Amino acid sequence: MAGGNEVNVNESRMVVPLNTFVLISNFKIAYNMLRRPDGSFDRHLAEFLDRKVQANASPVNGVVSFDHILDRQTNLLARIYCPAPDPADVELPQLVAIYELQKAPSPNPFPVIIFFHGGSFAHSTSSSAIYDTLCRRLVTLCGGAVVISIDYRRSPEHRFPCAYDDGWTALKWASCQPWLRSGKDAKLRVFLAGDSSGGNIAHHVAVRAVQSGISISGNILLNPLFGGNKRTESELKLDGKYFVALQDRDWYWRAFLPEGTDRDHPACNPFGPNGVELEGLPFPKTLLVVASLDLTQDWQLAYAEGLKKAGHEVQLLYRERATVGFYFLPNTEHYHEVMKEIKSFVRCDL
Amino acid sequence: MGRNPYHPKPTDEDSSSASETDTLLAGVGYTVRSSDLHHVADRLEKLDSTIIAAAASGVPPEFLCSSAIHYNPSDLASWIDSLLTEVPPHSSPSLWTDATCLPPPSSFSIDAHRLGKEEDAGIRLVHLLMTCADSIQRDDLVLARSLIDEMRLLLPLIGVGYGIGKVSIFFLDALDRRISFLPQPTKTVLEDEILYSHFYEACPNLKFAHFTANQAILEAFNGCDRVHVIDLSLMHGLQWPALIQALALRPGGPPALRLTGIGPKTAKVGLRLAEFARSVGVPFTFQAVAAGRLDSVRVKPGEAVAINSVLQLHLLLSETGPIDSVLTLIRELRPKILTVVEQDADHNKPAFLDRFTEALFYYSTLFDSLAAGGGDGGCSAAAEVYLQREICNIVCCEGSERVERHEPMGRWRVRLGRAGFEPMHLGSNAFRQASMLLKLFSSEGYGVEEVEGCLSLSWHGRSLISASAWRARADSAVALVARHRYIIL
Repeated sequence: MAGGNEVNVNESRMVVPLNTFVLISNFKIAYNMLRRPDGSFDRHLAEFLDRKVQANASPVNGVVSFDHILDRQTNLLARIYCPAPDPADVELPQLVAIYELQKAPSPNPFPVIIFFHGGSFAHSTSSSAIYDTLCRRLVTLCGGAVVISIDYRRSPEHRFPCAYDDGWTALKWASCQPWLRSGKDAKLRVFLAGDSSGGNIAHHVAVRAVQSGISISGNILLNPLFGGNKRTESELKLDGKYFVALQDRDWYWRAFLPEGTDRDHPACNPFGPNGVELEGLPFPKTLLVVASLDLTQDWQLAYAEGLKKAGHEVQLLYRERATVGFYFLPNTEHYHEVMKEIKSFVRCDL
Repeated sequence: MGRNPYHPKPTDEDSSSASETDTLLAGVGYTVRSSDLHHVADRLEKLDSTIIAAAASGVPPEFLCSSAIHYNPSDLASWIDSLLTEVPPHSSPSLWTDATCLPPPSSFSIDAHRLGKEEDAGIRLVHLLMTCADSIQRDDLVLARSLIDEMRLLLPLIGVGYGIGKVSIFFLDALDRRISFLPQPTKTVLEDEILYSHFYEACPNLKFAHFTANQAILEAFNGCDRVHVIDLSLMHGLQWPALIQALALRPGGPPALRLTGIGPKTAKVGLRLAEFARSVGVPFTFQAVAAGRLDSVRVKPGEAVAINSVLQLHLLLSETGPIDSVLTLIRELRPKILTVVEQDADHNKPAFLDRFTEALFYYSTLFDSLAAGGGDGGCSAAAEVYLQREICNIVCCEGSERVERHEPMGRWRVRLGRAGFEPMHLGSNAFRQASMLLKLFSSEGYGVEEVEGCLSLSWHGRSLISASAWRARADSAVALVARHRYIIL
């Protein structure tokens, strides 16, 4: 091995497959270059480095995708993934979007997953390759789900509550679409899902939904991003060891939260001193995935406790020796087992 | 500390899939050979610890790498290596300061209720257009005529505000022309030039093309004292003042610049550019060459040559078209760089219905972007006429009359590769500057994408126009072909 006189063994290299190590280290180094100490962000370089893919209305592994503007006032874009339609119904890829958007409610129930990509509120888009791949997988995994990946506004250019507002706009849009309804009762069977900051957004959109009378079938949170002023044990013990440092987490919160606030803001710490009371609200069941080598796990576990205390159903998947980003590549037991759990979670009440 | 359970270090026996790329990483946008994974991982660790060490001695990571120019981030191995050579940092600051935190864009509002009804009628019109195009392909002109009449009745219901509703009218007219066998409207060079300059003003497409090509040419001309730019279609020469200016400001002083402008009536433009060059202190000479006479261009020994083609190459693609001989001519001029900008769309498919459909969706995206730009009414209207001509040509014409034979960048890549050119990647510097240009001049919705070293301008993720740079392969076989003028393959 090169550099044999190095004393520090890189622990993260030992616990993940090599290609995962390459992928996540690459993100770590690239992201490091984009954050500036004054809180600004090199957006141009970020977009250049982000590996993106176009939507594809020709079937690939039985899935088609197209980009669609959900709201012209805010130019909110989403990438919609569907099971490929019958070629007898749609001869040309360019007609797929029109065909899908005009469908009547289907008698056979199917889940709709509104997906919020991760990136600590600052990175990635719905066209990022890592997320395009994941969303495509979800369509097939859940037996023909429609997945809607939201291109929400990111920080530091757009702070709280922009991302939540965009999520809410998306949910309202979905609830007005006949083609997303299914089953004998022609209902919208919608799940809110996301990883990292996306998981955080899913939570807050769900709160707003149940406060406004929109019913959510379930929340799926993968390593969701929560925090607080206090430094927890996991944060201190794992700081810098597995791709993530506490300093970065702090930067992203400072970039997202309103200026002059701290990490006990309810957006960051929903069950903290400034949190909103969830008891008595019809909050959806939650599938919460926590990686044991994620330094923010104490906050995620506290989130689970908070939900339970408020009387809400939480299914906790605590993955030993999993790091952040384990769900990007299908090369570990963590990936396959978590996908299986997501599938049962989504399909069980259909 | 123990073995990684997922991937023990390869032994000498593990040589089977040596040259294969890792498929999982490829699926998320990164190209790394499986056999290179360990090496790349080592380099990542090295880069990481180097950055940490630099930070410890007072150089923050973002400053360290902000002046680096990045190329092709998909090729992780070379990206990492190029960063490693940037450390320790060199002192020249970037000329551009990055403006992040910009004010939010003005919203594009439209009445939501009205939207629903209009969208329904618009969608119906699209279905009818496709059916009509299909009937034309099958030579059922009677059906085509009745569909056109039906569509004309539907028109008053369509909002002309944006998107597919608006552009459908142009396609409807084009179909009508085609089956009525009406001759193409006559064009004059003056009209062409006027419409072109309105199109230039109305949206960032041409500005993006010029800007990106200039950036690549500038980088290629680094260190050259005598440079020669050959513009395959000079028009108003809108591209060149910016390049002349940039050359004037070059550290170490400007080179001597020769500009050859091909096209009708280029002399006046040449004079204006000469004036401008003189005013900024760039030694400049201009040569006018008649349209289609690339063969009469001469290059001098010792000068660095850049050949610039903005929306020109696709005009040469008809069955009897001279694309191959033009590319050979270009190669024989031994350019240091060939910049190619083309519409990123497939409007050259042999089947009429396919072509029609592609064009319908491409131009509706383009018109959508024009509308959102909200530019002054006059410019947008003239820009639409400019585009309408392209639409007419694609829909109504065949054979050598059909010149708007746009092809996607992927196909140009193959064609240029076969003609003896290899790609020069446009890097993060060009990307950054194109992004900033967009932010300054355009509405929200535009983006710049990087794909395999080419940059494209996109509207809501749909690529509209693609810019790329090339150089002749140093291949001796290719050089032989050029010299001896016979085809080996």
